[in-house]
Amino acid sequence: MNFGFLVGVFGVLILSHAAYSTIQYRGLLKIMEEEFSRPPINVILELIIGLALCMWAALTFPGKFLSIHPDSDENRAVSLPDNSDFMIFNHRGRLFPPEIDMKF
Amino acid sequence: MLVSSSKITRAREMVTKTEEKQLNQLEIQVDNGGGGTWEYLCLVRNLKLRRSEKVLKHGSSILNDPRKRSALGPYEWTLNEQVAIAAMDCQCLGVAQSCIKALQKKFPGSKRVGRLEALLLEAKGLWGEAEEAYASLLEDNPLDQAIHKRRVAISKALGKPSIAIELLNKYLELFMADHDAWRELAELYLSLQMYKQAAFCYEELILSQPTVPLYHLAYAEVLYTIGGVENIISARKYYAATVDLTGGKNTRALLGICLCASAIAQLSKGRNKEDKDATAAPELHSLAAAAVEKEYKQKAPDKLQLISSALRILKT
Repeated sequence: MNFGFLVGVFGVLILSHAAYSTIQYRGLLKIMEEEFSRPPINVILELIIGLALCMWAALTFPGKFLSIHPDSDENRAVSLPDNSDFMIFNHRGRLFPPEIDMKF
Repeated sequence: MLVSSSKITRAREMVTKTEEKQLNQLEIQVDNGGGGTWEYLCLVRNLKLRRSEKVLKHGSSILNDPRKRSALGPYEWTLNEQVAIAAMDCQCLGVAQSCIKALQKKFPGSKRVGRLEALLLEAKGLWGEAEEAYASLLEDNPLDQAIHKRRVAISKALGKPSIAIELLNKYLELFMADHDAWRELAELYLSLQMYKQAAFCYEELILSQPTVPLYHLAYAEVLYTIGGVENIISARKYYAATVDLTGGKNTRALLGICLCASAIAQLSKGRNKEDKDATAAPELHSLAAAAVEKEYKQKAPDKLQLISSALRILKT
């Protein structure tokens, strides 16, 4: 398990803890019969930290991103496939067959 | 030996740089006796390349070893087919015959094996029997694309390109979306120097697959060959499109731009200044020349002098 994965798990735990705190806070407000406008400041801070950790883990854990540009150096077209549907066999190479023996 | 079916790449319309690098790496590895034979054969099959000698050598080494052959499982028969075709290309007809016999035993009465047998007749040079075999196969399924294409190939092999063109035109009336057939028709027309018809074929290819830069390149070359200021201006546009689609790494397209610019300047010598300025594209020309010199500096520095003087002559 590498570092990115652990950070991701940690971020998810922080987010779920923030969710649980918000639910508890709402329950408390229901008892005190007050309006629920937004979660308390520390929960918001926790949410932001959890977001940052999860985003960092999501970008580093999967490894190397592949290029999607069709004209990037990896994806550019170099040649077309040889048209083997129309392949003909009477070329000069047929005078030099390689020595292959078959045993099956 | 692992049968890594998960690594089988999907066949695509063109060969990319990474695939070419991977192929070369695998080829060197396999030739020097390292493993990876099956991956190499799968890659060659998926990229539809014609490496018949290597496929024959390494494929038959797998098929000769009964342990490796049984490790392949169901892919043994695909390998048989691949080795049979490669053997026919290298004129090792005995090998091809044994592969086809093995396939016949496993799949009796199969149309795919019937096609392979007719292909073997072609490779032996028995054109008449091959034609009959294809005709009888066509009776059972008259819309088999591969058989129609093989009949075109027979006419091509007999040295009758006009008949091949006729057959191919009839085939394309039925199967208009077959890119390989359009490519083949374009090449046949080019071999007969019928450039306008070849240009039409390349236009069809560009329409159906506008992201393949090599069709743009071929079209530009045909236009440049036909000549005339209008055609060369169009050719320059298509060379520029190729440069765009390949990220500037296609040296042929860059040189094409320089040549087009020089040809336009020469052909429009008699015109007045405004016309000349409208058709000239000096920035494009100088950028392309600079890109060519950079490529040569990287890849062939001893030829840099040569190309610089050639480009200088083109600029004047």
